[in-house]
Amino acid sequence: MRSANGWSGFAGRIVLLVIVCAIVACLPVHVAHAQGNGRQAIAIVVNPKSAVTDISFAELRRIFLGEQQFWPDRSKITLLVRAPVAPEREVVLNEIYGMDEDQFRQYWIGKMFRAEVAGGPKIVYSSDMAINLVGVIPGSITFVLASAVTPNARVLRIDGKLPSDPGYPLK
Amino acid sequence: MLSAGTARAQDVSPSQPVVRAMLFGDATYLATDRKIPSGFELGQLVGHLIVGFTDRLNYFGEYTATAQPTGYAFEVERSILRYDFDDAIKISVGRYHTPIGYWNTAFHHGTWLQTSVSRPEMIKFGSQLIPTHFVGAFAEGNLGLQDIGVQYMLGVGNGRGSTISRAGDAGDVNGSRAWTASLSARPAALFGMKFGVGYYRDRVSPPSGVTASEGIASAFVAWQREQPEFIAEYVHIDHSPTSGGPTTGSDAYYAQLAYRLSGEAHDWKPYIRAERTTVSPTDVIFAPLDLGYEGGIGGIRYDFTSFAALKAEYRRERFQTHDWTNSAYLQVSFTVPDLGGGGGGGQQMQVQP
Repeated sequence: MRSANGWSGFAGRIVLLVIVCAIVACLPVHVAHAQGNGRQAIAIVVNPKSAVTDISFAELRRIFLGEQQFWPDRSKITLLVRAPVAPEREVVLNEIYGMDEDQFRQYWIGKMFRAEVAGGPKIVYSSDMAINLVGVIPGSITFVLASAVTPNARVLRIDGKLPSDPGYPLK
Repeated sequence: MLSAGTARAQDVSPSQPVVRAMLFGDATYLATDRKIPSGFELGQLVGHLIVGFTDRLNYFGEYTATAQPTGYAFEVERSILRYDFDDAIKISVGRYHTPIGYWNTAFHHGTWLQTSVSRPEMIKFGSQLIPTHFVGAFAEGNLGLQDIGVQYMLGVGNGRGSTISRAGDAGDVNGSRAWTASLSARPAALFGMKFGVGYYRDRVSPPSGVTASEGIASAFVAWQREQPEFIAEYVHIDHSPTSGGPTTGSDAYYAQLAYRLSGEAHDWKPYIRAERTTVSPTDVIFAPLDLGYEGGIGGIRYDFTSFAALKAEYRRERFQTHDWTNSAYLQVSFTVPDLGGGGGGGQQMQVQP
């Protein structure tokens, strides 16, 4: 039978082990965040005729979730989303949707199932295609790497910040 | 090959209707000590047709084929024509899933969408407890409280048919229209959370000849992210005989908790649910129907592809005051999303080279 001190030492080692495990478990998160800080910013681009220049992150999320389907001027929003494996899609799924690819698909299937939307986002296959389409489709909105933004593209501020600003949320 | 050429804006504002279709289906194996048929069962085959006439006028149709002992029963589950003025006002007419609580509109015939094998008892297939379908017209939209994400739904319709599990498809059986009003919220600060309340009012006229006013108050909370997923609903149903007599109340609730595992086990989602339905013994509508129920389930869902899931579930339950029974279910459910293309994650843009 263990002595009281023996139990105390045993319990101490268990506590230590739990703490070490917790630190190890947290490490990948910190590494991921560190990598995230090094990522390129994602620019939100809208049709040049849009009257919107600044948007809150909460409103942006509602638009990308299909909960807001019209702009304040009552024009219809058309959401253009990059096809899977594009790095900017990964950022948007992580930061705006908080979903992985399977959850993203299930989310839009559920939206259509509940008759909340008549269709999912329109899929685009390159930054050039996204920029070209958002330039000609009234009410459209998309996202591209900030480095892919062309001079005539209309980039939205998010909570007052442009992609080059410190504290921009989509990095 | 697709290229970043000149896009056609009419792809988004089409001159021709845009037609999309989806399919849901399931097959279940049941072993049980209940006095019901066991073995393999083909569940509902559910077809969805979505037509975009313009960017504001849409049709949503849902049609089912349900296996019955004598063949298949075909049903128009939903048929909705809706015009979206903007986010604040959307007007529609047709046949709906009644917006009572959460599950009835969120999952209903979409077995693949729901975590568990089947719906909670209070909204089961052919439920007599709540009117799961509604024929009439709705106004719905966002209330402009953007940080809270408040949505409303106001509806007027025929209410229950003479068979109270059915909507009044061919007209109101008693000339007293049903109405329903509900509010729900998705607060921006609690991303993933949805909660709501609702009220439904009707006059019920079953074949027994007894007529009663019916009021259904409901409330729900759903944490829709999967780590964890939590859904709880409560309904209280009042019946007041129109010929006089006391008003009686019945209650039903359930709570379901699930958790999507992490890492290598990401495809697995264990879940549990507890539920109870209590009917007043003097309820003139419900008492003869033996709707009392209590039960609990535990199971696990395995998403072996993006569009199909295997679920194994144990259920212990008791109907009215009968003995407790045990059942084991094994179910495969699937969806064929958006047959028009896009794989459920969106529609492909048509681009001129």
